[in-house]
Amino acid sequence: METLVIISRAPYCDWTGRESLDMAFSLAAFDQPVTLLFTGEGVNWLRKAQQADAVQQKSVEKNLSAAPIFGVSALMADHKACKRYGLNEENMMPGITTTDLCAELLEHYAHVVNLS
Amino acid sequence: MSPHTPCSFTLVITGAPYSSQAPQTALAFARAVLANGHRIDRVFLYGDGVHLASALTSPPSDEVNWSQAWQDFLESHNIAGFACIASALRRGIVDQSEQQRYELPANNVASPFTIAGLGEWVDSVAHSDRVIYFHGGG
Amino acid sequence: MATIHTLHIVNKRPDHPAFGACLSSITDQDGLLLTESGVLALADREATLKGTVYALAPDLQARAIAVDGLDVKSIDFDTMVALTTEATRVISW
Repeated sequence: METLVIISRAPYCDWTGRESLDMAFSLAAFDQPVTLLFTGEGVNWLRKAQQADAVQQKSVEKNLSAAPIFGVSALMADHKACKRYGLNEENMMPGITTTDLCAELLEHYAHVVNLS
Repeated sequence: MSPHTPCSFTLVITGAPYSSQAPQTALAFARAVLANGHRIDRVFLYGDGVHLASALTSPPSDEVNWSQAWQDFLESHNIAGFACIASALRRGIVDQSEQQRYELPANNVASPFTIAGLGEWVDSVAHSDRVIYFHGGG
Repeated sequence: MATIHTLHIVNKRPDHPAFGACLSSITDQDGLLLTESGVLALADREATLKGTVYALAPDLQARAIAVDGLDVKSIDFDTMVALTTEATRVISW
């Protein structure tokens, strides 16, 4: 019974994305299967070389690249949102699978969380 | 699930009172859950929802005090209410033990809410029949 | 009551990104429950909806939004509870 945690809020404007990541990592820490999906403005978490300290916040780049080691099954990003925000293989963090947020994708998950 | 099988629910509230309608919608839903013979395993406050656990809210007398309404509901039905520790500490919702730990000037978590970790939420995902989220932004 | 596969609960106004994300994820076998600002979609001439549509009566009443002539069922909280138990999954957007 896998959970999909959807990150649909952009970074830095509030803590919604961080608190979504905490949920995903907690599930993984308790050996519950979880996948992360970035969509809408949330795909902006995935841009390389962000300097979070410029706004006195912590970067999540290391957490995201370590996600598979911590037990997160996959990191996915909605393909339309990536296109909209100019994200591609060159400027996006490695290890992200692009996909389409649609009913067929959600079918795989018994539990879907979208902090919004 | 057949309509007549009692279900267990966890309600997750991520919207704060007065910044959202989440506490009101969630409370009406919670009352209907019990009235229809189902069970509430717990209420879990996350993100801005932790403000619902504050003992210091004092709205005008002609407005509903959502924190008080939830405290009364949880007490009268003996339902556990948790405010997630990480969300709560960031937002200044603190119990006596966290007040001591961080040497803060006061504490403000209203009984019967208690501070807990995300493990309570993970337990809901694993064991409650339904986990229903009441977000802000609505 | 029609059996619904996934119940999607939307409490956001129609131009909120979560509303669009929900519509991308909903099928005709699903239920769409509009609550809080979500009921504004029924007054919004530019909004499109999918699935079997429900709206919470108190939120409609508060906003004086009528559902006459619309393919929407106005429901109370008892029915909302029933919908959440009968659907295979519930997603809050």
